[in-house]
Amino acid sequence: MSSLNISPQTPRINAAYLEKWVNHTVRIVGKVTGVQGGMANIDSAGPVTLQLTRDCALIPNNGAEVIGKVMPDGTLKVLTSWDLGPDVDYSIAEAIVDVNHRYKQVFYDS
Amino acid sequence: MSYGGDYNQGGGGGGGGFYAGSQGGTQASPGGSESRRNRSSETLRPVTIKQILEARQEVGDGPFMIDSVELGLLTFVGRVQGVTEQATNITYVLDDGTGTLDVKQWIDADSPSDESAQNLNDKYVRVLGQLKSFSNKRHVGAHRIRAVEDYNEVQYHFLETVAVHLRLTRGPPEQFTGGVGGVKQQDTEMGGMGNTSSTSRLPPGLSDNARKMFLQIKDVTENEGIHVNVVKMKSGVPDHLATDAITELLDLGVIFTTMDEWHFAPMDLL
Repeated sequence: MSSLNISPQTPRINAAYLEKWVNHTVRIVGKVTGVQGGMANIDSAGPVTLQLTRDCALIPNNGAEVIGKVMPDGTLKVLTSWDLGPDVDYSIAEAIVDVNHRYKQVFYDS
Repeated sequence: MSYGGDYNQGGGGGGGGFYAGSQGGTQASPGGSESRRNRSSETLRPVTIKQILEARQEVGDGPFMIDSVELGLLTFVGRVQGVTEQATNITYVLDDGTGTLDVKQWIDADSPSDESAQNLNDKYVRVLGQLKSFSNKRHVGAHRIRAVEDYNEVQYHFLETVAVHLRLTRGPPEQFTGGVGGVKQQDTEMGGMGNTSSTSRLPPGLSDNARKMFLQIKDVTENEGIHVNVVKMKSGVPDHLATDAITELLDLGVIFTTMDEWHFAPMDLL
C-alpha cells in the first residue's frame, strides 16, 4: 500500500464529521463491518461507506485506519488503508477525533 | 491551591511543570529561574509533527520552543513513509496525520542492528530524539526508534500530547492543584463546597489560571470593568498564559468585555 499523493495533513474524523469535510482528505479509524466487491463498511462512531481501491486489505471485525477523500455523497474514496488488528479501543478513537477538532492547533491548520 | 500555583509564579515558565506536576518529588525541588533551563531540557515531551514543524527559536541559534517552553527530548509517533539507508545513517520519513518529518538515526558500526530498517516501512513507529536544524531544514535526530505493536499506543500518544499542551498553555487542571482535596474536590465542585466556594459558579474542568483570574474579576462592580493587566498582576498568572485563561472564561460566558477588548466584567448569573 504505497502512499500516493497524500496531503501533508489528514485530520482525524469519524462518521459524524463527514458532511463538514466533503472534498477533503481525511483519516478515519473504525471497525470493519463488511466488505463486498469494491465497497466496504466501517463503524466509526456511526456507519461509513468506503469506495475501495484495488489493493485494500480490510479484515472484517478488525480495526482499520483509512486515508481517503470525502465524496459529496458522504462516502469515502480510499487512498490508503491499514489493518489495525482486533484490539483497537474505539472509545479512545472517538476521543482522539474529539480532541483533534477541539484543540486543532495541535493537529491541523484550518 | 498552593503548590502548582506557587510553582507557576516562581518559576516564571508556567510550563515545564507538567512533567513534574503530577509527581510531587521533582516539583518540590528549589525552582529558581536559573534551574528552569536545565529542568526543561531534561524533560521528555510528547508532541505531534505539526508542533515540531512549528517550534520556534527565540534567538538565532537558540533552543527550540513549543508553547513557550524549551524543548529537550521529544517523543512522537508516525507511520514510516520511506526509508533511505546510507553508510552512516538511516533517514525515515514519518507521517502522523499532522505533517511529515525526516528522522535520522546514526548507524552504530559496533553494534549493527539485526533487523533491517526497511521492515519498518508502512508501520507506526515511536521515536525518541531531539529536534535539529540543518541548512534550514528540520529533522529529528533519533536516539531510539521502534515499531509500535499496539495501535492504542498511537491513540494514547495523541491524548498525552494534548494533555501536555493544555497543561503548558492553561496551567494544571484544578484537581491536581489542591493540597488535600484531590479528586474529591472535583466531585464536590457542583455543590460549591470546600475551598472553591467563592468560585462555585465556575464549571469543573476549568484551568487553574482561569480560576485565579476569575477570582480577581468576579467582584468588580464598576461599569467599565477591570483591565486585563490589573487582573494579571493580582492573580500572578504569567503573560503568555493569561490570554488563554481569559479566552476560557469568555468562552464559558462567565465574563464579558466592556468598553474595549482589554476590560472585563463578571457576568451576573445570580
